[in-house]
Amino acid sequence: MQVHLWIRIALFERQLAKIIEHLVNNANRYYERDALVADPDYGSILSSLLVGPCALEYSKAKAPACFWTDPPADELVQRHRMSAGTTTPPSVRRPILNFKRSLNASSDDGASSNTGTGKAAGSSAKDYVESLHQNSTATLLYGKNNVRVQPKDVEEPMPGYLSLHQTAAGLVIKWTPNQLMNGYAESEGIDKSVYWAMSLQVCVWEVVYVHVHWSQASDALILVGQDGVQRPPIHFPKGGHLLSFLSNLETGLLPHGQLDPPLWSQRGTGKVFGRGKARRRPLPSLCESGETEEPEWEETAGDYVFRIVNNAIADREAMRHSLLERAVQSPPRTPRRPLASTSTTSSDSSTMSVDCPPSAGINGHPPLTPIPHQPVEQAASIELVCSTMRRQIISRAFYGWLAYCRHLSTVRTHLSGLVHPIIVPRENAEGGLTDERWLAMTDESGAVHDKDEVYRLVYYGGVQHDIRRHVWPYLLGYYEFGSTAEERAEQDAACRRQYETTMSEWLCVEAIVRQRDREATAASIARLTEASGKLKPTDNNDTSEVFEDDCSVISDNPPIVSPEPSENEQRRPDKPVLSRAPSIDEVDNIEMDSERDKETKQNGETENGDNRDVDVDSLKDLDEDVHLKSVVDNPDMRRESIAEIKRLAEEIVQKGDGRGLLCSVDSAHVNGTGSDFRSSIDESQPSPHQQHTSVIITNPSVDLAAGGSPASGGTTAQVSPARSPLGVVREESQSAGASFDTLEPADRNAQDNRSNCVSPASSNGGVYSNELVESFALNLHRIEKDVQRCDRNYPFFTDENLDKLRNIMCTYVWEHLETGYMQGMCDLAAPLLVMMREEAHAHALFNSLMRRATDNFPSGQAMDAHFADMRSLIQILDCELYELMHAHGDYTHFYFCYRWFLLDFKRELLYQDVFAAWELIWAARHVASEHMVLFIALALLETYRDVILANTMDFTDIIKFFNEMAERHDASAVLSLARDLVLQVQTLIENK
Amino acid sequence: MAKTYDYLFKLLLIGDSGVGKTSILFRFSEDAFNISFISTIGIDFKIRTIDLDGKKVKLQIWDTAGQERFRTITTAYYRGSMGIMLVYDVTNEKSFENIKNWIRNIEENASADVEKMILGNKCDLEAKRQVSKERGEQLAVEYQIKFIETSAKDSLNVESAFYTLARDIKAKMEKKQEASNPAGARSGAHQIRANEQQRKPTSWLSRCSLL
Repeated sequence: MQVHLWIRIALFERQLAKIIEHLVNNANRYYERDALVADPDYGSILSSLLVGPCALEYSKAKAPACFWTDPPADELVQRHRMSAGTTTPPSVRRPILNFKRSLNASSDDGASSNTGTGKAAGSSAKDYVESLHQNSTATLLYGKNNVRVQPKDVEEPMPGYLSLHQTAAGLVIKWTPNQLMNGYAESEGIDKSVYWAMSLQVCVWEVVYVHVHWSQASDALILVGQDGVQRPPIHFPKGGHLLSFLSNLETGLLPHGQLDPPLWSQRGTGKVFGRGKARRRPLPSLCESGETEEPEWEETAGDYVFRIVNNAIADREAMRHSLLERAVQSPPRTPRRPLASTSTTSSDSSTMSVDCPPSAGINGHPPLTPIPHQPVEQAASIELVCSTMRRQIISRAFYGWLAYCRHLSTVRTHLSGLVHPIIVPRENAEGGLTDERWLAMTDESGAVHDKDEVYRLVYYGGVQHDIRRHVWPYLLGYYEFGSTAEERAEQDAACRRQYETTMSEWLCVEAIVRQRDREATAASIARLTEASGKLKPTDNNDTSEVFEDDCSVISDNPPIVSPEPSENEQRRPDKPVLSRAPSIDEVDNIEMDSERDKETKQNGETENGDNRDVDVDSLKDLDEDVHLKSVVDNPDMRRESIAEIKRLAEEIVQKGDGRGLLCSVDSAHVNGTGSDFRSSIDESQPSPHQQHTSVIITNPSVDLAAGGSPASGGTTAQVSPARSPLGVVREESQSAGASFDTLEPADRNAQDNRSNCVSPASSNGGVYSNELVESFALNLHRIEKDVQRCDRNYPFFTDENLDKLRNIMCTYVWEHLETGYMQGMCDLAAPLLVMMREEAHAHALFNSLMRRATDNFPSGQAMDAHFADMRSLIQILDCELYELMHAHGDYTHFYFCYRWFLLDFKRELLYQDVFAAWELIWAARHVASEHMVLFIALALLETYRDVILANTMDFTDIIKFFNEMAERHDASAVLSLARDLVLQVQTLIENK
Repeated sequence: MAKTYDYLFKLLLIGDSGVGKTSILFRFSEDAFNISFISTIGIDFKIRTIDLDGKKVKLQIWDTAGQERFRTITTAYYRGSMGIMLVYDVTNEKSFENIKNWIRNIEENASADVEKMILGNKCDLEAKRQVSKERGEQLAVEYQIKFIETSAKDSLNVESAFYTLARDIKAKMEKKQEASNPAGARSGAHQIRANEQQRKPTSWLSRCSLL
């Protein structure tokens, strides 16, 4: 076996065919003259045979079965495109409301018959396309493209794909015109039903004779059925293709059938088939049909007739004999003309007549199964049929009417809430909101008043890309219609101010979080390297709270822990934080009077009584500090770049001492002057980093404030210059209690948040603020994980812009810490940022967007409502689909729609299309429906309904299908279908 | 569609967000890696059919959103799953600590005899490692769950993890089948075998040999 290993490797590398080809071409060098490879025919056949296997991928360990059973979504859509006779969207092809069949019959006769046959034909077409592929039920024995067949009504033979399949029932020969095989390429608009009518499917067990005509131009093959009727001739290209087809046919017939005479026996006698001049005499029983080909007969260079013998199925054999007898016994049947006519009809019936619904009624058209011969109809029976039909029509009409009435009442109850009752006309709105129209609508003060017109234009035609930036704020309700340019500029400025304020708040917290993370990381890495396999079970145990864990880590860790062993011993385990202050001192001792710090800390630890005195000190310091800042600060400071603030904030935190002091001041102050609640808020609130820094030294343990406070005196001064830019925040609250109340609501929100935290802090040293930091840290980490991987394949998202996105997220979350960050928010903010480019602006729009979208997130209730609405909509608008879904189990949860609704289709469409979809959703609230997302979802579902139905997809299949189809939809078609669906429901309700 | 597998196993990937669930799945189903995977929203799944001791086993692997907020959705999938991969990130201590919570979650929502396995992903990032292999192993011993460190990026142990889990499920299943119906299970397996062998000779190789 080792000797042949190279074959395997070459096959793996897909080089085998080339190697063999080389060998064949140079056979005289490598092989003896009699060798198989040296033979000019066999050699080339061998090398060309290997081309196929070499095209396959062997390096992947995939079972081929999964290619057959789980074709990817693309493949399904492509197959569907091939099998769908027309490429018109379903809404056009189907009647408006696809009620039960009985209903269709009465309300819309023409359409219903279309749907009926369309469905049958569609499904069979689907089977047909499916069957062309190698699959588990049928093995592909032979396939050849550009085989020419002349269908009826066509002047010239057309090229197509010929294939031979082995099915359970027997061999099947299929021929499909090229026009159908190229599913995507050309002729999108052309009705393919013509071609379906041309395609050919012949069951070999119904064929008795195979005629082969060998001519100069091409090799033709004619199959003659049991009824003596010829199928259209199949012209093979020159070059042994007919021969290989026949050999495959013969092989396929085995073991139960065979060609008579055997194909290869001729070779046995030394005659090469197709080359020999010898002409086989047709079998006597064939004379009659043989004569029909007289003209060609003369021209051909060689003719052969094979009989297909099937020993297996006796009754078929018997039937064939009887048929033959009949054919022979009826001399008056003149071969030429009549046969030609019958031949067309019967071949038509035996071909797969997959007429996809043309407009003409094809009710009487025979279905797929071939009918050998049609019995002659009697007049009486026609009458009988007519009366039956009449009765059927009447009963259908009645039941249709009944169903329609019931249906409408359901519609009224279920759907009236989903759409607006008034249909806004569509005139002149196709172009959408263009630059010119927008300008025309803007008056001299820069105000746009006609909001209904704006909504209408956007709904029907979208917004021109260049002006989206200006229109979106209106659509999202951020700008008021009618506001002047100045008002908006003011609004923007205020919004930016507020954004920066909020941002400076959380940036401080972020700095703390960063510091903590660094410590935690350092700790765990240190532990990892140090422990080197020796595990401390205690580390594993209390993992619920990171903070405690961290602290314990630090105190365990000699290099970071303060040097005095005595202190370590003294320290109780529940206040490890104290150990941190010195540890940081060790790191940053340049700025720190470490001796004093230690001293004071010891003080604080041992006696709480000191607090008051120190408080006064620290309070004084703080006041100075604040004073200093308010002098330095001026309104311009606010616009100072956020990055600067951030940098400084981080600097502060890195100076662990400063942080320690500040917070201790804070908490001490709260303790000492707790009498005035307002003032305590004012003091602590202005500089959030104080708050949070307090967390760092403060610790769940109560005596913490005491521990930290004494240290404050020394270092406040050092820190204050660094902090000055943050005075922005400070200044605002410095302006005192009154202004505090007038702060903008969002800010207010955050402050409320904090004041909640602060007030209890007065009693026990910042436990709540610890929670605040922790919850923000948690959110921050989540945000960063998601921001880093948000739409990275979209060029806009460079590091710089990702930073912006992160800031928007953090700001929003800081303002809504109670809900926090939820996965998907990033996705919603990203397109807004892409559009607006500017952080503060994008944040403002995101805020507006989230007002509606929050409900979709797991914390809200909207998702379940959406699912329920979807259910009713599908039930009413497409009951066929509904039945399928219903039949396949648990459809109460439309989870395949989950992402659609959560992200407003952001992941389903490409960016450009997302913009359009969002505009549609926003405008629709004012024009047609509050729940446009439902209709877009429905439109998506309807776009692929035929694929879903044809493959009888269950719940999991649909999820897979749509996840694979993401960003591949034809968005404009989907959106316009969605509008149509809204209109359908509106009309339905209107016409009650 | 025709059934061309002997077993269908539904597996579930859970773990904190960003630990690499989607990457693992993508590595296993497509044998590829993409540094910039977007966060999973809702639920997705991929399919791969593997050959396990001569049986075709179709693995339907569900990928879930990591954030706990979305547990209401993901827990709906716990019930039907036969195997669960608990994934943590060796460069993220918290994700490791949360494995316990995830296990608790499984105990509350999944069927009792579901097969579990712990994966410590991103083991290629040795420099950033925060959770040692020993800790992972210890946790695994504690819960009596199999454990393996993987790297979706370097394609390390991903295959073997899924094969191991699938093999365990299959073993458990066959044991159950045999217990309930010793004769039937046997003959059924043989029948499938026979069918397979019949199908094979029609491949191109055999036909080609005729020439």
